[in-house]
Amino acid sequence: MAHLSDMPEKQRNMIVNQDLPDYDDTTCADGPALNERKVAIITTAGLHRREDKEFTPGVGEYRIIPNDTDMDDLIMSHVSTNFDRTGFQQDLNIVFPIERLRELAASGDVGEVADYHYAFMGATPPMAHAAVSKDLAGLLKSDNVTGVILAGV
Amino acid sequence: MGGLAHYLEREGLPTTQISLIRKHTEGLRPPRALFVPFELGRPFGAPNEPDFQRRVLLGALKLLERNDGPFIEDFPDAPPGPPADMEGWTCPVNLAAPQNDLSDAEKLALDLKQEVVLLRPWYEESIKNFKGRRLDGLTEYSPEEIIDFLVSFVDDPSIDSFMEGQPIGRALKLTADDLKYFYYQAAMAKPGSVSDVQISDWYYGETLAGKLFIKLRELCLGHETEALQTMGRTAYVPNAMLKHV
Repeated sequence: MAHLSDMPEKQRNMIVNQDLPDYDDTTCADGPALNERKVAIITTAGLHRREDKEFTPGVGEYRIIPNDTDMDDLIMSHVSTNFDRTGFQQDLNIVFPIERLRELAASGDVGEVADYHYAFMGATPPMAHAAVSKDLAGLLKSDNVTGVILAGV
Repeated sequence: MGGLAHYLEREGLPTTQISLIRKHTEGLRPPRALFVPFELGRPFGAPNEPDFQRRVLLGALKLLERNDGPFIEDFPDAPPGPPADMEGWTCPVNLAAPQNDLSDAEKLALDLKQEVVLLRPWYEESIKNFKGRRLDGLTEYSPEEIIDFLVSFVDDPSIDSFMEGQPIGRALKLTADDLKYFYYQAAMAKPGSVSDVQISDWYYGETLAGKLFIKLRELCLGHETEALQTMGRTAYVPNAMLKHV
């Protein structure tokens, strides 16, 4: 269901044509070559450790996923019914490519893997992320992160 | 996701992102994005395809070295493996055809628990196959306890929340998801690929639990509380499964 084309036209249009905020162009932040960057993953799959509080719909909150977390214990409390979970169950990396990132660091394509990664729950108004983004940016900087891969679902 | 890119970039953090809905990314104009023609829920393509996943990830990360955004690049390839609408998958358990009349709460609960009994060996087999990973566990309740909660709502939609600290709408959603994930986990016990569409067609079309979800949707849509009406529209039946309603 997972493909937009599988949905009835009305529901598909509601997803694709939803109102979005207007953002002015944002100047790209500069950084070193990829093989010198420390990279963090931010997912909006609603992932968190089993002991963490589940996500609350509509709130721009995030959960921290330390790099040494037992990744097999991550669960998904995303509220949406409209995306595939079977891929996630078969292989975490399909939504949170932590093993792939570690491989790219080992091969030298990427400088290093961040000590902490982060998860939001999508289906949240983009403006709701404004309030927490300064705090999050501070955490990423304190981890010396110089590249962020954002992955929705 | 696109908004977050703006906010982090303005704080000096270079970002790149995977885009699954091109129109959203075109509207939000994040600095750097890689559009991928994959299913929703599969931003890195296909499970257990590490070479392909690595290509997608590296393709997105390489965009970090460009500072001429906003731009969207297109990933050229479809994911490997069988398409989502492949045929041939069957549930490991033959369940009785579900009844459409859910008005007898006691019978409904008993019949649902019978489904759980039949599925449990496959659920446990599935967890073993996935080395302990499991989809359910959002709440601390067993499937049988969840059935009692959900059926009590079907019997009387004016009940108060049965989860401490959670409003009734969120309590229904978390427990319902846990019950559904129990079924999905069991259905994935057989080795080999299975698509979300296949499992969902089985769940909503052939199980009593699926009928229960359709009933929950109906009750929430007609509920006096606006929050529950919203839940009815979005929380129980995926858009692609409305054909079973």
